[in-house]
Amino acid sequence: MRLLVVEDEAALADTLEKALREERFAVDLARDGNEALFKISHVDYDAVILDVMLPAWDGWSVLRQARALGRRTPVLMLTARDTIDDRVKGLNLGADDYLVKPFALAELVARVNALIRRSYGGAPPTLKVGDIEIDSAARRVYRTGGPVNLTAREYSILELLVRARGRLVTRSMLVDHLYSEDIAVGSNVIDVHVAALRRKIGSNIIKTRRGEGYIVDV
Amino acid sequence: MCDSIRVRLLVWYGVVLSVLIAVYAAAMTYLYSESLLRDIDRDLAETAAVVAQYISPDVSGTFDLNFPPGLRNTLFTQPGGTYYIVWNPRGEVIDRSEFAPVNLEMLGPGTGTIEEGRYVVAPGPAATRILAGRALGDRDVAVRSLGLAIAGAGGTILLLSLAGGWFLASRALAPVARISGTAAAMVAGDLEARIPIVGTDSELEQLARALNEAFDRMRAATETQRRFIADASHELRTPLATLRAELDWAMKRPRTMAEYETSIAKASLAADRLTYIAGSLLTLAAPGGGAPALSRECLNLATLVREVADLLRPLAESRGIVLSVTGEAVWTRGDSGRLTDALSNVIKNAIEYNRSLGTVTVVTRREGEQAVVIVRDTGIGIAAGDLPHIFERFYRAGAARSRAGGAGLGLAIARAVVEEHGGAITCTSAVDAGSEFIIRLPAVGG
Repeated sequence: MRLLVVEDEAALADTLEKALREERFAVDLARDGNEALFKISHVDYDAVILDVMLPAWDGWSVLRQARALGRRTPVLMLTARDTIDDRVKGLNLGADDYLVKPFALAELVARVNALIRRSYGGAPPTLKVGDIEIDSAARRVYRTGGPVNLTAREYSILELLVRARGRLVTRSMLVDHLYSEDIAVGSNVIDVHVAALRRKIGSNIIKTRRGEGYIVDV
Repeated sequence: MCDSIRVRLLVWYGVVLSVLIAVYAAAMTYLYSESLLRDIDRDLAETAAVVAQYISPDVSGTFDLNFPPGLRNTLFTQPGGTYYIVWNPRGEVIDRSEFAPVNLEMLGPGTGTIEEGRYVVAPGPAATRILAGRALGDRDVAVRSLGLAIAGAGGTILLLSLAGGWFLASRALAPVARISGTAAAMVAGDLEARIPIVGTDSELEQLARALNEAFDRMRAATETQRRFIADASHELRTPLATLRAELDWAMKRPRTMAEYETSIAKASLAADRLTYIAGSLLTLAAPGGGAPALSRECLNLATLVREVADLLRPLAESRGIVLSVTGEAVWTRGDSGRLTDALSNVIKNAIEYNRSLGTVTVVTRREGEQAVVIVRDTGIGIAAGDLPHIFERFYRAGAARSRAGGAGLGLAIARAVVEEHGGAITCTSAVDAGSEFIIRLPAVGG
């Protein structure tokens, strides 16, 4: 899952980046409103963590413009102002959630996960396909009751394909969602991960559309 | 209840009115009784004169009194009515009417009052003396009934006046109830409560207007304070968020020594920032330090500026900025610690928002009664839209400025300090050309 963290306080941004990477998110950073807006409009993030107080455009303006551009990306606002007016303003402008500084890291991660779950059609934390069961909160996969040992990338690919069940997922979409911008990947890397994944969970779940991408049937 | 203005007003009103009515009643009764007495005296004198007409002296030295019978019957036959006594020159009673008092010694001419009533003694023909008198009972009755009538009328007037006074006092004091009601609501926390103004210009309306103004000012002060607290909490939350997130991360699982070191260093930086903000808030919250202007020391601003510049020169050099100080000695009165804070904040601001290889020039000079410090930089300048706000607490001008750190309190502190010294600080600026801050303080000495 790929996140954009928009925060102008360098110290906080760095901490969030390393903490979220550790939770197996791909994390991009933006330091001001312009950069944030550019990235949101060019990359299909799974969620955006958006600070309200920013140089250039503030968080409200970034949100308003992103929504005006038709971007439906889930947005969690970080605000230092705990007033009802601020919350209402954020929610009215199309924010999906908010968190008041200072916050517990665990809460941020839980809320981001919940946002992503909701944005994929409100699926419950446990997903089922065939004999495969995915516990997205614990990031574990079970096959006919027994745990399956997946790498972080393999897990992310599986979760993404299952969440997008019935829809075609291209290799470049997978790259977009799995890797942050500072890593350059060829699309064949995805094929390697998918092959490994099929060995572990069986080859019948993930189908290949030659030249296009992958799909998990409903 | 007894302390109520209305009751006390009414009591005073009642006392004054009662005294007035009593004095009036006494005066009226006295004058009436005196005028009755004068009438009686005139009657008696006339009676004496009538009696005198009928005295005819005899050669033998005896007297004869020839009253027509009608006169005697009508005038002198009523007990309690008019009577007469006639004495001869030797003081012997020659004649007296039926109801005249007996054993009355001859009296000298004149009027007077004896136990039996009022009398007039007049000289008659042939050295006789004639006394005409009458009892005063009916006069006393008349005076008493007049007194009673006046007392009754006065009491009625008093009661009516008190009732009217109560009504008027209630009407006049009704706005007071309105005012105290509003004030109570204000105290209870309803900052929007205002006393309704009816539009007259009575004393109470003026009071209401004055109170409304006070309420407005109180509201504004509360609002400023509320915003200040909100801003302060906002400023404190960001370093707190860094601290919290970093500590959460470090404690989540075992880390390497290097990772711990990084985390602790970051936490320490966040703590520094919190300390700085807390300190700045204290400086702002307690301006003046309570020192009265006269006890402040006499300071050479040029020396102070040079000291501050020496402290800041390493910062300037680290950014490749030339910091130069020129100007004459100029004296002002003040708190050197706080003025150092102010100057240091303004000069630091000029260094931080400068471009590399730029210059900061500080000039001190005297202009008339003012000691002036000018801080000029060749920096990025301040947009016209930001200029009116740069001295506000926590204000950080948009885009370009906010990256330079600081909590946006430096210039607010500078202004607070300068103003508490009776001075003013102003700024002119052009984007991409630089800014000029001018501090003006009252100068002392020649």
